Amino acid sequence: MISRKVILTGSFGVGKTSLFRRFIKGSFSEKYITTIGVKVDKKVVEVRGEEVSILLWDIAGEVKQDKVPKSFFLGASAIIYVFDLTRPSTYKNIGVDLNILDEILPDTILKVVGNKEDLIEDKDKLAKIKAEVNATIDVVTSAKSGHNVEQLFFDLAANFVD
Amino acid sequence: MVATSHNKQDEELLHQLQNILLKDDRVAIERLQETIDDPTLLSEKISPIIEERMMFFKEAFPKEFKATVDKMIEVKLKASQEEILDVIYPVMGKMIKKYVNHQIQMLKDSIDESIKKTFFSKGILWRIKNSLFGIKVSDQVIHDLKDYQIEEIYVIQRNSGLLFGSASTENTIDQDVIAGMLTAIKSFVEDAFKREREDLEMIQYGTYKILLQNFYSYYVAIAISGTMTSTEREDLANELLTFAEEHLNNMPPEPDGQIFKTISSALGQEFIKK
Repeated sequence: MISRKVILTGSFGVGKTSLFRRFIKGSFSEKYITTIGVKVDKKVVEVRGEEVSILLWDIAGEVKQDKVPKSFFLGASAIIYVFDLTRPSTYKNIGVDLNILDEILPDTILKVVGNKEDLIEDKDKLAKIKAEVNATIDVVTSAKSGHNVEQLFFDLAANFVD
Repeated sequence: MVATSHNKQDEELLHQLQNILLKDDRVAIERLQETIDDPTLLSEKISPIIEERMMFFKEAFPKEFKATVDKMIEVKLKASQEEILDVIYPVMGKMIKKYVNHQIQMLKDSIDESIKKTFFSKGILWRIKNSLFGIKVSDQVIHDLKDYQIEEIYVIQRNSGLLFGSASTENTIDQDVIAGMLTAIKSFVEDAFKREREDLEMIQYGTYKILLQNFYSYYVAIAISGTMTSTEREDLANELLTFAEEHLNNMPPEPDGQIFKTISSALGQEFIKK
């Protein structure tokens, strides 16, 4: 079995804990409880017959990534940077944030995730938001419906096996 | 015909001349060939030369190659810094602990001396009993408390919080998650107080303690119930250093199933099945 540490980070209220819960427990809650410090949990994913244990660190949201204790990132094999598709304030500094993350862990897999897809009315609106974001979005998810959540982590696990 | 006869004569003369001029050289070459063909003779001739060169090499090497060797060692040390630190960490720890232990022993002896003087009249029977069994007063006071027990032990990668191995007296919740959360708490405390080169060494709740012994690329967390004297803690720390020397010197960069099995089994045998 392969074990890897994965970090969930981004601004507050973007749905990191909801993604965490959706992936680990397969559930969703409308209640918003802010994360204090960090929460750690684990899920084992099977990729091409190989078990990959993903130790997921759900880090308390910060408006800027330089506010997150650097030691939380150490030893991580991947970072998932989450923003809220419905709140421009959560992606307006995305370029700066991604640079900070790249400086902390230069050779680590970095996935940019736009969450709360279920709140976007149509494809045109989504395309407009995507055009506003100053970064390449790897995947658009909905923790509420579960859309693309499993796939996001499965793709990450596949990277670890490769 | 005349020309051919002259040529023959010339050749004969040349041959004779060669024999006269090269006679000594040919003998010398023959002797040289014999020496080369005979290993014993060859060895007799060459050995002193090799020995002489070896002596010269031995004397000149440090001077001639010091800079190159230093550079090579420097490069090698830089390249394998983590492995070297993992190897020397337990050894250094032992040396420091030995010194600190000695100092503490001196302090304890001095406390014992004071207690002897102060409680001579009151605790005479107690002291007689202790001296019969060779127990020191200070140790007796502490040993009257409940013995400690190691409930769980974990070897955890320092940065990632991934588990290298663990052992426990009973089944607990997911040990990977415990290792991750311990690392998160440790990172949080160490970051929050910004004390450089200082590590969180213990977490306590009620009579339950989690001792954290830090090494270079990993740390060991031991969950303990009951009361532990400082001497017992020192002994346990020494046991851990010895364990690290024997089992944790060649840790892979990332934990895997094989290393987990090996370390968990060793932890169980050394610390849990006692």
